[in-house]
Amino acid sequence: MALDLFRIDDRLIHGQVVVGWGQPCGIGFLVLVDDEVARSDWEQELYRMGVPPEMDVFFDSVDTAVRRLPEYRNDRRVGMLLTGDIQTMERLVERATDIRAVTVGGVHHKPGRVARLRYVFLSPEEEARLRALEGRGVTVIAQDVPGATAMPLDHLLRGDGTG
Amino acid sequence: MTAPGATPVAAVPASAALALPLHVRASILLRMLAIQGVWNYETMLGNGIAFSMEPALRRLPGGRKGAAYRTAMARHSGYFNAHPYFASVAVGALIRAELDGVPGEQIDRFRTAAPGPLGSVGDRLIWAGWLPLCSSIALLAYGLGASPLMVVLLFLGTYNCVHLGLRIWGLNAGLRQGLRMAHALGHPILRQGPAYVASATAFLAGVALPVAAHGIIGPGRVLLGSVLAAVAAGATLVTLLHGRFEGWRLATLALASFVLYTMVR
Repeated sequence: MALDLFRIDDRLIHGQVVVGWGQPCGIGFLVLVDDEVARSDWEQELYRMGVPPEMDVFFDSVDTAVRRLPEYRNDRRVGMLLTGDIQTMERLVERATDIRAVTVGGVHHKPGRVARLRYVFLSPEEEARLRALEGRGVTVIAQDVPGATAMPLDHLLRGDGTG
Repeated sequence: MTAPGATPVAAVPASAALALPLHVRASILLRMLAIQGVWNYETMLGNGIAFSMEPALRRLPGGRKGAAYRTAMARHSGYFNAHPYFASVAVGALIRAELDGVPGEQIDRFRTAAPGPLGSVGDRLIWAGWLPLCSSIALLAYGLGASPLMVVLLFLGTYNCVHLGLRIWGLNAGLRQGLRMAHALGHPILRQGPAYVASATAFLAGVALPVAAHGIIGPGRVLLGSVLAAVAAGATLVTLLHGRFEGWRLATLALASFVLYTMVR
């Protein structure tokens, strides 16, 4: 299974993804799942510029991602799928039942969110969504880069923003 | 590559280059040197972005007391995270968008989309490329016998010529391209450069490390065994703790141990 990294990160494609995960894990392609970006040529062009020439990037809505997941699974390269929010990942997990683990890589400050880690701020609704994901049998961890400690969901939700 | 079924939206509008007076550009550039001055985990670079843009935003209708100025300052003080040098591209693009009267919703969408690619390009070119390359050049110079002052000046000189050049280029490119700044990020140096810089860094580091090590332990070979043992122990520790202990904590611990050792010695 080549596509086995599923990450929630509101910055989508950035240095932690391309350098932090891309280099040590040998990532060959990224799948960016976002309904709005999938409809926006200029945003796709922008994100494409953040990806090194040797790495492919595919843009999907939730609908097209569900259809194309088997194709991505069969890709011989290592791949990472990214969503910009928890809700999009939840919609994906509901329809693609073979997603077994999800990493929270970065959800930043907005009004209504509480700091859980330095790079994870969550609203009560988002916390409930993450718990619901675990309830479906999906392992949820928080980890920004591979060298950092992977934090289980229980620990994440008890965090006070200093970890 | 676009997913099947994706439908394009209206292209970002293009217009003539923005002619900000030289003193305004100079003021923006100076402010950008402090773009991380109030960095925090909530807004990250946001306050610095607004602070850098402020001299240009005074030119909005109504000036500093106008509603447009206040709205723009509030918008750009919000969360924004990117590589600090490449943030200059965003500063230029956002100034252009505000002064051209681009709708707020489109600017907000751009502020959401821009940080990631700017961070990615900056991390690859600067943190993973240019900084290690300049460090290797400085190490090599030290190993070849340059004085400490010369090594420091060499490092600062080589590093900052690209650093400052990038900030100037970024601001001008952002002002020129506006929200179409993807065109600027497609520059061949930014696309292909990191790979060449990485190769050069690997080569130079391979040459510089043994030369510098020879320069450091040359007169005190009695310590060679201890140094090698410490390196082996450190490498084993890093491997064993991988994934359970963050690297910066280990580096801080090692540095603290060195300081304590030199004090009790």
